[in-house]
Amino acid sequence: MERVVTVVPEDGLHARPAATFVETAGTYDATVTVAPADGSRSAVAADSMLAVTGLGVKGGEEVVLTAEGSDAEAALDALEAILSTTVEE
Amino acid sequence: MSRTLSGVGATPRRGVGTVVWVDRESEDAEDADDADDADDTDRSNDTAYHERTAESSAVDHHERASESPAAEVDRFEAATEAAVAELDVERERTAERVGESEAEVFDAHKQFLLDPTIESSVEEAIEAGKSAETAVWDAFAGPIEQFEGMDGMMAERADDLRDVRDRLLRILSGADRRDLSALADGTVVLADRLTPSDTAQLDPEAIAGVVTAKGGRTSHAAIIARSLGIPAVVGVGAGLFEVDVGVTVAVDGESGRIVIDPDAETIETYSEDTAAAAIHDAVETADGTSIEVAANLGSPTEAAPAIDAGADGVGLFRTEFLFLDRGEPPTEDEQYEAYHEVCAAFADRCAAAGGHVVVRTADIGGDKPIDYLGLDPIENGFLGARGIRLSLEEHAGLFETQLRALCRVAGSAVGEHLAVMFPLVSTVEELDAAIDRVHEIVAELNAEGVDAAVPELGVMIETPASVMLADAFADRVDFLSIGTNDLTQYVLAAQRDLDRMDDYHDPLAPAVIRAIDQTVQASGDAWVSMCGEMAGDPALTALLVGLGIDELSMSAVTIPDVKRAVRDIDRTEAEALAADVVACETRADVRSAIGLE
Repeated sequence: MERVVTVVPEDGLHARPAATFVETAGTYDATVTVAPADGSRSAVAADSMLAVTGLGVKGGEEVVLTAEGSDAEAALDALEAILSTTVEE
Repeated sequence: MSRTLSGVGATPRRGVGTVVWVDRESEDAEDADDADDADDTDRSNDTAYHERTAESSAVDHHERASESPAAEVDRFEAATEAAVAELDVERERTAERVGESEAEVFDAHKQFLLDPTIESSVEEAIEAGKSAETAVWDAFAGPIEQFEGMDGMMAERADDLRDVRDRLLRILSGADRRDLSALADGTVVLADRLTPSDTAQLDPEAIAGVVTAKGGRTSHAAIIARSLGIPAVVGVGAGLFEVDVGVTVAVDGESGRIVIDPDAETIETYSEDTAAAAIHDAVETADGTSIEVAANLGSPTEAAPAIDAGADGVGLFRTEFLFLDRGEPPTEDEQYEAYHEVCAAFADRCAAAGGHVVVRTADIGGDKPIDYLGLDPIENGFLGARGIRLSLEEHAGLFETQLRALCRVAGSAVGEHLAVMFPLVSTVEELDAAIDRVHEIVAELNAEGVDAAVPELGVMIETPASVMLADAFADRVDFLSIGTNDLTQYVLAAQRDLDRMDDYHDPLAPAVIRAIDQTVQASGDAWVSMCGEMAGDPALTALLVGLGIDELSMSAVTIPDVKRAVRDIDRTEAEALAADVVACETRADVRSAIGLE
């Protein structure tokens, strides 16, 4: 299962949104990966803070989320919601 | 004998106090794998709050044999659990004492701590016979290096990783958490770098200042210090390590300087708590007139302190910094980056407060010589070819490059609030020519397929000629900006840099007051800003609002006081005051009308 999502938080997939993203990804049974939609980097495990932060995804960029497992759809819904939420500075 | 060290101001407040060291050793030792070297360079025995640094712990434990892989894995797992518990506690405390958004850094730390990559690499190293400490040290080394090689915000993640690593190593070593919550009143905390948890413990009532050798003003520790209102200077460099415990240090978080062993006069100046709490909302007078209170900036690095001080926008962004101290003029892209940075920084503030980012095109000549332009002190002096006069003639190329950069920013996502103004205009012909250039350049850029837009345009009111032509100018532009420093010089024909003329440099001279009044009266639909020193004096805010100024722009540090002054103003009373002051014929009368004598 795959979904393309635009990263809304201005700072991108960094400290705060990244922490919430990674933590949430870890709560599902599904194996989730994330990659920049432009194909510049290969997909990484969504439950690894190092890997997710290391992608250097910026605000406004698109990412491809993939999920495999029984709750894949729910995982994608939850992660999409996080990436679509503006962060209050 | 006092000495000065320079870094980056993180909290624009000042304080003076006595040095206490935290972590005096530089982490540069990280590169030194040799245990003997680490011992030799340890000169921190005299520090009150010295704690063994992470690398020396790692080196010590390097020699500590692994008990058994199973036992080491248990130690690592117990340490991780303890670290999570600490982070939860510190997160709660920071949310309570500092703020929710500052607390969220601990969420990031927790996720780094629990990262499956780290966990598996630690466990693999332990299986291979290493101690938990060495395994942790090694597991973090690669990611830290990787993040350090990345730019800006990513590089700061390396600090997060160090904090997490050091926390694990400290727990493994059995040492207690560093407690900085009970330092004596009047302490200046010096450190190589501070972690967010260190900083969040600091008591703003007790701590006179924080100075670090490393770190930038956007590091988490700097942000937390700023939120707590603790005067802070970061990134001072290795020179900081020469400062001993117990020494008196004055910290100036505005200029980013610290003075070691300051004299009595400096101590007195720095002891005054000049900083008032910032007002982050737009302000209006007691009877509902909105007044924009903006900051004067000399470089993009001043944007963040101005926002912290509550600036609604930028009333004067001087662009000369781009041209000074270098061998050739800045490129279009370099300028674009600088203007874009400030517009991006202020985008939210401007949207919320109806503010602008007003960029003044290069005001070269006058008292701002630039070597590679070969300017002459007389020919290009205060009464010579300076400002717009150079931009339209021999330095038209510089002007074009600057306008291209500005119009590109105006056409960018953050360009909505950008405004551009021209300095030292004294004729309608000059203004028309400058405006035409902007339109031509936007057309050229669009023809090249580059996004560009015409920003709001304005003109500086600095010369008597511009005051007399203010109505004609106002018909052509969106706003007028009164530069009181030059206006005073030119109205009174008294050169700014001559000591003999000091007494004439009084913006409260009746002739200057009347020039301001005439400008506002002639401004029609254009809005009127003031960006000289006068705008930042809270004692004059009522007068300026009464004269009809719409926007006041000043050094960031005076913004809170001026915003407070605006809220106390009754518009009708202020207008009556302004009428009285405009009628005054002598400086003494002006002062007494304002109530200054």
